[in-house]
Amino acid sequence: MAEPLIRICNLVKTYPNGVQALKGISLDVQKGEFLVVIGLSGSGKSTLLRCLNRLQEPTSGEIFFQGKEIGQLENRNEIRRVRKHMGMIFQHFNLIPRQSVIKNVLMGKLAEKSTVQSLFGVFSEQEKREALANLQLVGIADKAFLRADQLSGGQKQRVAIARALTQNPQVLLADEPVSALDPATSHVVMDYLQKVNRELGITVIANLHFLSLVRQYATRVVALKDGELVFTGKPEEITEEWFHKIYGESAREIS
Amino acid sequence: MKSRKIVFDAILFCFLLCVVTAALFAPSEEQWLNLPLLFSAVAVFFALGAVISLLLKNLGIVTLGDILFKTSPVHAHDKAWYRRFWMWQLLISLAAALLVSLVKTEFSFFELFNEDGFAGAIRLFKGLLDPNWDVLPRAVLNIIETIFMAFLATTLAIPVAFVLSFFCAKNIMKGPWTRSIYFVLRTLLNITRSIEALIWAIIFSVWVGIGPFAGMLALMIHSVASLAKQYSEMVEAAEEGPIEAIESTGANKLQTIWYAIVPQVLLPYISFTVYRWDINVRMATIIGLVGGGGIGTMLVQYQGQAMWREVGCIIVVIAVVVWALDQASAVIREALK
Repeated sequence: MAEPLIRICNLVKTYPNGVQALKGISLDVQKGEFLVVIGLSGSGKSTLLRCLNRLQEPTSGEIFFQGKEIGQLENRNEIRRVRKHMGMIFQHFNLIPRQSVIKNVLMGKLAEKSTVQSLFGVFSEQEKREALANLQLVGIADKAFLRADQLSGGQKQRVAIARALTQNPQVLLADEPVSALDPATSHVVMDYLQKVNRELGITVIANLHFLSLVRQYATRVVALKDGELVFTGKPEEITEEWFHKIYGESAREIS
Repeated sequence: MKSRKIVFDAILFCFLLCVVTAALFAPSEEQWLNLPLLFSAVAVFFALGAVISLLLKNLGIVTLGDILFKTSPVHAHDKAWYRRFWMWQLLISLAAALLVSLVKTEFSFFELFNEDGFAGAIRLFKGLLDPNWDVLPRAVLNIIETIFMAFLATTLAIPVAFVLSFFCAKNIMKGPWTRSIYFVLRTLLNITRSIEALIWAIIFSVWVGIGPFAGMLALMIHSVASLAKQYSEMVEAAEEGPIEAIESTGANKLQTIWYAIVPQVLLPYISFTVYRWDINVRMATIIGLVGGGGIGTMLVQYQGQAMWREVGCIIVVIAVVVWALDQASAVIREALK
């Protein structure tokens, strides 16, 4: 097998209040995968993603990204360079309200800008075209000059995807991208994530709750339980038995 | 917290004991000014108060401290109000405080309805109600000075407060080093703010001389401290999500502040600033009284010569301008929501 895009070795994260969110996770992510992380709320899914782009500081362990160790980086500039290559989308979209959609998308370019350039909001025509093309890709180029807070939830999440794509990332981290959306809109957003994954070859790592979505979109699934990796495999391998192991005996699947 | 309750009750009892002692022994002026004696008496009374409140606690009586800090047992609430100990504690303490204030303010119906005094007041009101419009041009000129004094003070304060506000926000100053800067700045601003603009005006009128410049500097200092506090509270209330999102694109700290925080706080900033200008115009008239220039200085000159008709004209001008600005700032702030 080729060298993995991301290799996580024995990753531990203990929060200052003593909660052990991750208890030694080891995991390889191959280029081009659509990897879905499942598990109960509080199982460490979100912490895992946030350790990857260093929004959270790993307590110990190593993370290799394109062969380079990034889990213990101290230098802020190097951490920012890592983040530039990992786009992230969030449960609550986290767009900047009262700003236009296109400006929100252009913010994906901030890592390439000098501080002075960005304070004056200087973006080239080339960059604007790129932002528009990314909006086109997620099907809402016509909304480019509306204010971000005028969009619906699903549209906001698509703008968030466009913003992440503007970073030209290798990986897209999606932290419960559809948890705040209705089922129909969820499928639209997931379809666009799949499109990004298949057509642009961007590796996607997503936290999801619904197994129906997992079965439809994931190329591989890992499950976390109490900060430990309890399952790795194909989505169709999650049997009734595994389901109960991951979610507890009394859990029942919602379709 | 049980201890807070004990301290609170002890202070109340201490106060009551002090009042009773002062009433019974009627100390002389000399004794009042003897600070060591005064402090030791208060300390003794405080200790006594603490003993009383501990005793009450052992007896299981619900005191005002219990009510305030919610340490009372649940069953204690079903008695009629006049049978509750804490109710009497509250009433007696308030009555004692009222009594002391009446004595201290030398409250006197005789002075209020004294004939000579009354005649003076009537003369004053007559003057105020019949303003001398001859001084109107000068009053208008002076209030323009006041308005622009306030405007300049606010304008100069904005950029300073804007920059300071980020250094005074907890959610930005997270590291150990930055946190200590945060604490130093906060303390400095708190001290600056606790010194009234009036005092600053006195300081600056000595420093740069009596006039509008001194008043403007006083207002500016006070505005910086107040605005920085209000601004930084807005920064602290900014949503964490967008900040995280911009950080995750690889943006640096300044870019994150500029793109994720500033858009969130800009409208409340403007709203606070307009309101501050409104406050500053009002303050500027007061500051004029101690030599800060503008309409206040003119007012105090005529007042000193007991020229009440001229004072009346000035008061009308002030009232009209303050009212108009109050309305304008309310309309602007409403529109910004």
